[in-house]
Amino acid sequence: MALDNQFLLILISGLFTALAASLLGAFIVVKRMALVGDVLSHVALPGIGLALMLSIDPIYGAAVFLLAAAFGTWLIEKKTALPPEAIIGTFFTATLALGVLLVPNEELFESLFGNLFAIKKLDAVIIIAASSMIFFLTLLLSRRLTLSIAAPDLSKSAGFRPDFSYLAFLLLFALSVALGIKLIGSVLMGALTILPAVSARNFAWSLKSFLVFSIIFGFIMTFIGILISAVFNFPPGPAVILTGIIFFIISLFFKK
Amino acid sequence: MEQEKNNKNHENHKHSKIEHTGPILEVRDLSVSFGKEEILKDVSFSVNDGDFLAIIGPNGAGKTVLFRALMDFILYDGEIKWRAGVKIGYVPQKLMEKAELPLTVKEFFSLKSKNLFFKDKQIANSAVHELKSIDIDSDILNRQLVNLSRGELQRVLIAWAILGHPQILLFDEPTAGIDIAGEESVYNMLHKLQDERGMTIIMISHDLNVVYRYANNVLCLNKERLCYGEPEHALTNEQIKRLYGENAFYHHLH
Repeated sequence: MALDNQFLLILISGLFTALAASLLGAFIVVKRMALVGDVLSHVALPGIGLALMLSIDPIYGAAVFLLAAAFGTWLIEKKTALPPEAIIGTFFTATLALGVLLVPNEELFESLFGNLFAIKKLDAVIIIAASSMIFFLTLLLSRRLTLSIAAPDLSKSAGFRPDFSYLAFLLLFALSVALGIKLIGSVLMGALTILPAVSARNFAWSLKSFLVFSIIFGFIMTFIGILISAVFNFPPGPAVILTGIIFFIISLFFKK
Repeated sequence: MEQEKNNKNHENHKHSKIEHTGPILEVRDLSVSFGKEEILKDVSFSVNDGDFLAIIGPNGAGKTVLFRALMDFILYDGEIKWRAGVKIGYVPQKLMEKAELPLTVKEFFSLKSKNLFFKDKQIANSAVHELKSIDIDSDILNRQLVNLSRGELQRVLIAWAILGHPQILLFDEPTAGIDIAGEESVYNMLHKLQDERGMTIIMISHDLNVVYRYANNVLCLNKERLCYGEPEHALTNEQIKRLYGENAFYHHLH
């Protein structure tokens, strides 16, 4: 096992990415938008393609496209009565097609599944700072968001704005997917977001325990996954996700 | 803690104004349409301090829509005037079933807090106080929302609504699922809130006996206002027939 700088950078960036993603994932799961999250992540691809063409960091290209897509989803859902999966299913699958045209062949596979881009020190700093910010903002948002999921009318009656909580949440989720592009890949980021939460749901008896378990599972599965990927020289994305699946299967035995 | 009505600029169609004296709520020529479908048409009524207004009408009469308009959730035509600074508590018919959300009753109360996190204790204490005031044991705080019976959930929703001491309670009574004994105690509870806190209550009711017993005003609704006034005078047999149809009449006056 090469315990070198690159490994440490991947491990630390991966763990921070997982912290933010697994906390957001808890809300993705209770809002029943797991598939939405998955398809939304495809929107990153044309952004990556454009960024590569303009030779800027693919994280930024992905972030711009994802944030725009998240805002678009929110707006269309607000203006029409369409559920998010219908909106995203129709519009954003098309971006996958666009992405395939835009991203050079040799980089396409790894944009989807991670490990393409070596993590530089600056990348790690950005990922750590942005993930911490996303994590903290999501925590701040969690009460409002939970109430808007549980009972939008009660949220309004208490003087809150459930639609703004939802928008903030979508934007945070879009950013978190963008951060995971290099390491985990856009397709697998959807899985990293959801897997800790679905496993945690099988243990949870309250909102707090649900969030805490989700974060812990995300952390552990990423740690083990990246360790395995270093030992066997796998790409980290698939190793993390497969570890997560094993977690989920174990969690099924604890379901009350 | 509750929604405070203030002088915000309303979107088109709306003409809410704030008054400092007079009735706590005054509604004039309220109309609501969803697309081309007219749900409410020219409904007018007013509510004074300490009133118990019952709103009755058949299914689809627009009763819940009226509540949603009163709370400014939807666009409407006409005028809805709340007294300045009035706090509204809202008890919905039910919560959407969200079995995937593992929320305890205590956490549900904490969601009403203006604080984004921490200070759980303060709101938990207030929740215990409100639960006590409507005779619910605080053991319920540690149970999950999804495991509550319909009756228990309704009481939790009432406690949630009165947390923060609103002056007026909008109560949307469930159509079914709560046993007679449970219903009876809910009415007594509302009556108690009215007596002890001087709370004003607007209630969508499905039970005419309740209207006669507790309400001092009744509004019969079927898209339009069909009757309005003291139940003894406004709720004639003729009116009830008009409201529910000949056949329903028998069921409603047990």
